[in-house]
Amino acid sequence: MGNEKAGKKMGQKEKEGEADITFYHSDLVEVPTDGSPPFLKGYRCKSCGQLDFPKLSICPGCWGAEFEMVPLSRKGTLYAFAEVFLGQPGMTYPMTIGYVDLPENIRIFAQIEGKAEQFNCNDAVELTIGTIRTNRDGLPITSYKFKKAES
Amino acid sequence: MKLDRDVYIAGVGETRFGKHTSDFDVLGRQAALQAMRDAHIEKPGIVQTAYVGNVQNGIVTGQMVFKDLGMCGDLAIINVESACSAGGMAVYCAVKDVATGTADISIAVGTENHSLTRQAGTAFAGATGDIETMQGLVFTGKYAMRANRYMFETGATPEDLAMVTVKNRRQATHNPHAWFKGNISIEEVLASRMVASPLTLQQCCGISDGAGAVVVCSREMTKNLGIQKPVKVSGAVVFSGPYHNRPRDLTGDDITEMAARRLYEESGIGPEDVNIIELHDAFTIAEILYYECLGLCRKGEGIKFLRDGESTYGGKCVVSPRGGMLSYGHPVGASGAAQIASCVKQLRGECAGYQVEPVPAVAMTHVTGGGMSGTEHAACTMHMLTKAWQA
Ligand SMILES: [Zn+2]
Repeated sequence: MGNEKAGKKMGQKEKEGEADITFYHSDLVEVPTDGSPPFLKGYRCKSCGQLDFPKLSICPGCWGAEFEMVPLSRKGTLYAFAEVFLGQPGMTYPMTIGYVDLPENIRIFAQIEGKAEQFNCNDAVELTIGTIRTNRDGLPITSYKFKKAES
Repeated sequence: MKLDRDVYIAGVGETRFGKHTSDFDVLGRQAALQAMRDAHIEKPGIVQTAYVGNVQNGIVTGQMVFKDLGMCGDLAIINVESACSAGGMAVYCAVKDVATGTADISIAVGTENHSLTRQAGTAFAGATGDIETMQGLVFTGKYAMRANRYMFETGATPEDLAMVTVKNRRQATHNPHAWFKGNISIEEVLASRMVASPLTLQQCCGISDGAGAVVVCSREMTKNLGIQKPVKVSGAVVFSGPYHNRPRDLTGDDITEMAARRLYEESGIGPEDVNIIELHDAFTIAEILYYECLGLCRKGEGIKFLRDGESTYGGKCVVSPRGGMLSYGHPVGASGAAQIASCVKQLRGECAGYQVEPVPAVAMTHVTGGGMSGTEHAACTMHMLTKAWQA
């Protein structure tokens, strides 16, 4: 603990006293400042073309280390979901969760906005941004979520 | 693993499972002593290597277990962690030592005390810092999603799922090691508090404390020790969860299917020959999915297998004869070792009040471990155990 503090003082003085993160996080999701809709960030390996989410430090297919960011589709299919009544500290329950399959052949785990009873497997859902939990300082953390797709 | 020479189980031990005020080292020692005495070992200096599975109780847990037994010194103690698979994996390591000739006799212990360390009112999550954990995934939620998808695809109902609890608790009725046992109705299971829809509290394994231990040795050592009923380890496999973030079939379980296939190949024993199984029934839906993944029945027919009574006494394969995790609770580091201990006692015909009849000749154990995004489980450990004496 002591070392960590010392390390911060030396290396990251500007971050001293900074709160825990409140956006999770810029490698995962982009919320454009021009008001255009948010998107998840896929990463395509420049050597073999494999597309992954989230960003990996190295491509598991070929060990390539260079990637190009690819915006992923905002709409997907709700493969499975559940309403959870008990879970981790820092979260609000009940909460609807789900696995969303994107057309890029990527599966995303996320919180789903709305009561579970309005959903069925294979429903169309779309990306949104919202609060997923609170951090250690009790501040809301913003990240990606999904909601029922507007038809 | 390829078994270069035959490996036998000479002794097993298990504590009562439930809430304990004794810490993990006391529980582990209790199971270890039982297992060693069961193997006719009455003093330190006999066992050559030790593996101790534990997840939440800190560091050098194995040394904590063995120090009071006068066994620390030339005993090589190695601590094993892979979430819920830790205890099973400890046994795998001990088996490997004997199979390779590294040791002629080795002990594996799985032990865990959650009550003394755990924060109340929270559920188990996967690896810390994992993206799915950050987004709010807990194991109850993941299994609830599996259950919902399974019901969507097969037309199974919450009542069907609840039958697993009813069966396993009934099977545990006279098992002194089990925690939750006896009669419970489908209605009572469904009326319990909702944890993650459709899974109610009585469909989730309890957070309990306990330990199991297994002594494994060479054929020659079983003779030296005078073991009357050695159980042969006919196969032992460990798999790590294949990682990818592509869509996958959550009504199956890739890692369990891979591990089972390998275990059947290596042991030369197929699912039709297995008499009893202790599997990872941490949630009701899990047991049903594993009937299918382990090849006890065809895909989509798990509910029929359960309804037809094929997974209980008198059926094709008695699943969770000790009551499973739904009765023992699931002290994560302990469960895998305790499953094996209980199966060995079944094979020897020592389970008065919950003995499977006719006394089984082949037992299989299955325990998955942990979660990371991009995997169904981080680990899976399986063992095939066979009776190795003439009746
Ligand atoms: Zn690549």
